[in-house]
Amino acid sequence: MEFTLLWSALTGVAGLYLALWWMGRRDTRLCVRDLWEITVTAGVIGLAAGRLVAMLRGGVNPVAHPGDLLLVRAGVDTAAASAAALLSAAWLARADLREQLDALAPAALFGLAGWHAGCLFRDACLGTRSSLPWAWSQPGSPITRHPVELYAALLLAMAAWLLFRIRLRYPAPGLIAGLGLSAAGTVRLVTEPMRPTLFTGPVWWYAAAIVAGIAVAAWAMRHPKPTGSTGDVPPLQ
Amino acid sequence: MRRLIIVLALALIAAACAAGGEVGDVPPLPETSPAQLQELIASAERPLVLNVWASWCIPCRSEAPLLRAAQASFESEVRFVGLNVRDGQDSARAFVNEFDLDDFEHLFDPSGAAQGSLGAGGVPLTAFYASGGELVELHFGVIDERTLALNLDEIIRRSG
Repeated sequence: MEFTLLWSALTGVAGLYLALWWMGRRDTRLCVRDLWEITVTAGVIGLAAGRLVAMLRGGVNPVAHPGDLLLVRAGVDTAAASAAALLSAAWLARADLREQLDALAPAALFGLAGWHAGCLFRDACLGTRSSLPWAWSQPGSPITRHPVELYAALLLAMAAWLLFRIRLRYPAPGLIAGLGLSAAGTVRLVTEPMRPTLFTGPVWWYAAAIVAGIAVAAWAMRHPKPTGSTGDVPPLQ
Repeated sequence: MRRLIIVLALALIAAACAAGGEVGDVPPLPETSPAQLQELIASAERPLVLNVWASWCIPCRSEAPLLRAAQASFESEVRFVGLNVRDGQDSARAFVNEFDLDDFEHLFDPSGAAQGSLGAGGVPLTAFYASGGELVELHFGVIDERTLALNLDEIIRRSG
């Protein structure tokens, strides 16, 4: 990993930690340490899986060149990374899946916002050409562009804050996780046309994430966990 | 368990040994000098991307597939030149063969003198020039898709 990218990783991790700390202060039921470990582990697994898929797609043999896995800058397959991170998080939180993912979702979105805002430290915020008043340009360039990574950071931070508010008001387990997935997919889908890319991004995957997130949220609304019921717990001796 | 570890270790060694090494049909790379390289840049009629690489450079291996894809997409608008530095002919040709970089225009700079004329050292290094040789961006280290796409757009736009 190059040091410029490390700045984005650091701002992402700082955003995640800040959000978890803030949420833990307002909701004493949360076990912040568990959530932190789940998110960081899932993030690292996602990054490794995304890099591995990018290497295979680029024709680089990962067995012959295992060191290339560390060169994250050379490309990470977003769809594979997201899928691996989500599956890892679900596996790690399996003991109390819906509640844990609900608690993770706002913090994860805020961490993602931090990752995007990290572009400020590595001079990588610019996207496609734009003549809007707030458009920026590269040093010495007459061409102004969308600061697309800041758009993404702002939208994700707003979504994180909204999800946290909704979680406190509507405690239907799974609802926030579903809405979080939808929000992440929507932000990515909306900002994708403003990103400078050589190839069309995995836009269908983002659309699929939105639909899947809405489906999970709708299912959660229909299947709320009864609060205050004894469930299957036998009488205490 | 021990047998499994031994088998896996042998498979890893075999895969590592099998990787690369063949020069295929790649012809020897033409040697260049600082003056020739500067002339090539200054007389560029199209936007130019100059990628400095070496076969022993692991990050160069990582960015090679991206550069190959970019060259295939922008072939008609942008000239892509690879400058192989401080390397051997056979190793360089094997690298070109392994990553299918035959469509690139490659130059050979065994002493690194031509790269020195760019005023920047180290590999990988990617320089973006608008037509006429105006330097737009000098990118040190592995290049990512966003940086490559952004600077390709810059040099095309500034040349137009």
